[in-house]
Amino acid sequence: MNILNSRASTLPHSDFSISDDGLLSPDAAETRLIHALQSRFREMALAAGAEERQFPTVIAEEILIRSEYFQSFPEFASAVNSPNKKGRYFLSPAVCYHCYQLLMNSVVPEHTLLTCQGRCFRAESANGSHLWEFTMREIVFLGSDGFVRAQCDAWKQRITSWAEQLGLIVKLAPAADPFFVAETRGKKLLQRIKELKYELTAPGLSGTDVPVASFNLHERFFTSRFEVTLTDREPAYSGCAAFGIERWCMALMAQHGVKEALRRVEESDDLR
Amino acid sequence: MGNDATGPSAPLNPAVENLLKFVNEDLLAGSKEKVAPDTALFDEGRIDSLKILRLIAFLEVRSGKKIPDELIVMDRFRTIETIAKNFPER
Repeated sequence: MNILNSRASTLPHSDFSISDDGLLSPDAAETRLIHALQSRFREMALAAGAEERQFPTVIAEEILIRSEYFQSFPEFASAVNSPNKKGRYFLSPAVCYHCYQLLMNSVVPEHTLLTCQGRCFRAESANGSHLWEFTMREIVFLGSDGFVRAQCDAWKQRITSWAEQLGLIVKLAPAADPFFVAETRGKKLLQRIKELKYELTAPGLSGTDVPVASFNLHERFFTSRFEVTLTDREPAYSGCAAFGIERWCMALMAQHGVKEALRRVEESDDLR
Repeated sequence: MGNDATGPSAPLNPAVENLLKFVNEDLLAGSKEKVAPDTALFDEGRIDSLKILRLIAFLEVRSGKKIPDELIVMDRFRTIETIAKNFPER
């Protein structure tokens, strides 16, 4: 350990520098903060009763097509080569798509909670807050409309309280995904009007507010496309809460500096 | 959910009546269920991503004004009555 520590102290500090392509290589202290945040979100998900799953970093094109991903975000997906050259694969733009793939053609209990963390890739224009590659923890809820709405509300409250406990200045407000193409303007408006998406934002390193978490109601959008039903054979309702780990790290660093941020995360109460 | 469209009711405000006609006879044409002025319009998946665009276009033509996205929120769109009140005819 001593050798590692002495070596680490001689390595350069990055100050959360992000490459032109939106790639991040955090230094040792930032890496500790990222891992501490990952642990706390994982603990909260498990304490809420979610079953944890791990998924590949790549996802089959067929799953993204079924999710209508390309219709909504045609330029975000990053293609990769597969070893057997059969089928096309992409770097996952979100981890919850894997959950729907896992549950495809199945009947789920009325109160289903899954959680997963993964590396996600979105080729948005890289800037101080849009990373090409980032870490996302998600909790996916499936069941009745009432259960999914209650979970979504509970996670909004839990995470907002936790952020406040960490001393983050946050705002919770209705939001819409950044749909670009004209045909998806209707989806964006519908999302806003039905308040299907809420975002928790906090000032990032540049001082402007960036979303650190989102709370989403998907109604029966994914479950009807992946044929995930309840015991009555009707499509289940679903939703998710998603946390961008590096964004939390940036917001905490902006407000407290990395050392104080780490102390606050490690000493924060276990929220259940 | 609000009342169905078949019950007895007082005469409708012309703006509400006009909008109700558009929604039931055009937007939801082909749908068995019709809505009333106080029906929660966005429940039950009645309005999808294409229908919302047609509804906005109808309101913009009717009022002669473009509706900014910030005004497209549930408080202004809950029912036909709310929409008529918030987006008056020219």
